[in-house]
Amino acid sequence: MKKDTGTAHNGLSDWYWQRLTALLLLVIIPLPFLLLCGVYSGVLNQFALLDLLDHFLSRLFHTLLIVAIVVHAYIGLKVILEDYVRSPMLRVALIGAMLVTMSAAGIWWLALVWAWGG
Amino acid sequence: MQQKGSRRTHPMPLSPRLSVYRWHIPMIASLAHRASGMALILFVPFYLWALHGMTGTPEDFDQALNLLHSPVGRLVLWIAGTALVYHFCNGIRFLALDAGWGESQQMMRLSARVVLLVALFAALLFGWLLW
Repeated sequence: MKKDTGTAHNGLSDWYWQRLTALLLLVIIPLPFLLLCGVYSGVLNQFALLDLLDHFLSRLFHTLLIVAIVVHAYIGLKVILEDYVRSPMLRVALIGAMLVTMSAAGIWWLALVWAWGG
Repeated sequence: MQQKGSRRTHPMPLSPRLSVYRWHIPMIASLAHRASGMALILFVPFYLWALHGMTGTPEDFDQALNLLHSPVGRLVLWIAGTALVYHFCNGIRFLALDAGWGESQQMMRLSARVVLLVALFAALLFGWLLW
């Protein structure tokens, strides 16, 4: 059988990182969910929201959240692309474009998190 | 097994054999995990934008809140909320399967059904809360 393009021995690390970030998100994801619920329902006004976000713990959790989401989303989409995009050239191009876009979004998000309140 | 020296006259068999395939609940659960994951990725820029607005000037905050309450905003929140509940619950199910819990065919089907029902309930609940 023809060997498909791609490096060997990196499957386990994808699998491992996907689970590790999943565990992290399991704990953290309820926080932004509750935050959005609070703002949407009007329980949190802007002052209350900024007080919450300004806290060091909030910045720490947001940082963890961003890193975990970017890694988890990157691996998830990569696996989907590897399953459905047959052409290796297109697949590599798409995964590369995705990596660049997601890294940029992650960095912008981190800058946003550490900037507010000042 | 093919005999030595014989030429392969048939193409490689396809696995799974699509003609005898039918949909099972765990397959739907697995596919929905991917679909909800992609929906959640699309929601991230929206969340970022909302956060950017909510941490800006009071006018920015009001504008972001107005957009969240608009019909489009509600629809986005409803889709993202439902996708999140589903992806969250089915993610726990996948982690449990990886740990070796509930790997029997019956348990796989039962847990898939439970997760899909929870997501359906969440969709109804969010729909009720948002409208």
